[in-house]
Amino acid sequence: MTCREAGPLLHARLDNELDMAGAASIDVHLSGCRACAAQYAAMERLHEEITAADLACAPGIAFERKLCDQFLGEKKSPSRFWSWNWLNASVMTAAAIGVVVLLLSVPRLRIGGDTEAIGAEILDNHLRALQAVHQVDVPSSDQHTVKPWFQGKTDFSPPVPDLSAHDFMLVGGRLEVIHQQPAAAIVYRRRQHVIDLYVSPSAGADSKTELRELGGYHLLHWMQDNMSYWAVSDVDPNDLRMFADLIRTI
Amino acid sequence: MWPHMRAAYNLARWLVRNDQDAEDIVQESFLKAFKAQASFRGTEAKTWMLSIVRNTAMDFRRRDKSGIAVPLGEEGREPKDDSPDPERVLLDQSRREQVRHAISHLEPEFREVIVLREIEGLPYKEIASVLGIPMGTVMSRLSRARNLLLVELGGTKLEGEVQHDLP
Repeated sequence: MTCREAGPLLHARLDNELDMAGAASIDVHLSGCRACAAQYAAMERLHEEITAADLACAPGIAFERKLCDQFLGEKKSPSRFWSWNWLNASVMTAAAIGVVVLLLSVPRLRIGGDTEAIGAEILDNHLRALQAVHQVDVPSSDQHTVKPWFQGKTDFSPPVPDLSAHDFMLVGGRLEVIHQQPAAAIVYRRRQHVIDLYVSPSAGADSKTELRELGGYHLLHWMQDNMSYWAVSDVDPNDLRMFADLIRTI
Repeated sequence: MWPHMRAAYNLARWLVRNDQDAEDIVQESFLKAFKAQASFRGTEAKTWMLSIVRNTAMDFRRRDKSGIAVPLGEEGREPKDDSPDPERVLLDQSRREQVRHAISHLEPEFREVIVLREIEGLPYKEIASVLGIPMGTVMSRLSRARNLLLVELGGTKLEGEVQHDLP
């Protein structure tokens, strides 16, 4: 491969857009060409700098509320209420969540917890936290600050792994009550997406990770070591699965 | 649509570079999306929403250029002058500001690929879908945009000027 051929593909390599064979051939070229390697390193640094600068522009809270009100307002009529994607917006209100919980839980109610209802409650909680000015009670990217914070506040110790190497940045933690039970919410960030991980004690056998979608958000639930785990976010579902796998194995 | 509101705002804000227009664009885009939802057949709600935002922002820019809308100080907080005052650069703001400034001063066609790729983290296929251009064009614009940023931020020389070891 010549530099001329490699040039445009350096970007595709950096952006994980090449298949394994393509990536390997670029890597071979990079190992033999100082100029392309320097160019690649510079691009990598640029990417890291942009990521570190955290340049996503967030809308003002007043505007977000206004928009929310405006588009929720149009969803009051029952026929429109259930139309596909507008359910996304509808779940922003506690009232809508109430309806969802009711509809989902009635036929599936069972002793020991109803995961559908809990899922809706988790999503409701996640959305409220996103709207709030502070999303965490203890803001810290240091796992050794967040984990001890929960001691004394909960009678269990949630896992707070450092996943920054995998591009899941720890934001902090907060205490929540889910289904009348205290739960630790550990907040991570992947690019501009917030991931809330809810952990609370719950007796039961270990289970596989279950993915469900609700109002455009994805929720992952699993049981492990008598703890119930819920991860919720609007991040790509594959990223959320990766996140869950990391939590499960660490 | 709601999960993509922040991405929509981010793209709009980077394209028009001021808060008020970005808010108007997002609001208008939501209205358009709401009206058009019956005709939406795709599976990628996010790219669909972002393409509406992007087209709406382009309309804003065109209106602005023709002088119909927003007559004064449209570029918001960004200085219009493209040549940076050396003293100001020296005193400079943090590196974050430099990076933000460099992206903000790219031409729109380069700025939008950088925002979609580096800030929103979209794969090429989705960027192509948002911008309505072929993947090859996404790659060449991204390549050009990154090189411009590297030059601006003092990272390296342009590709063509680099001395390569291999033919």
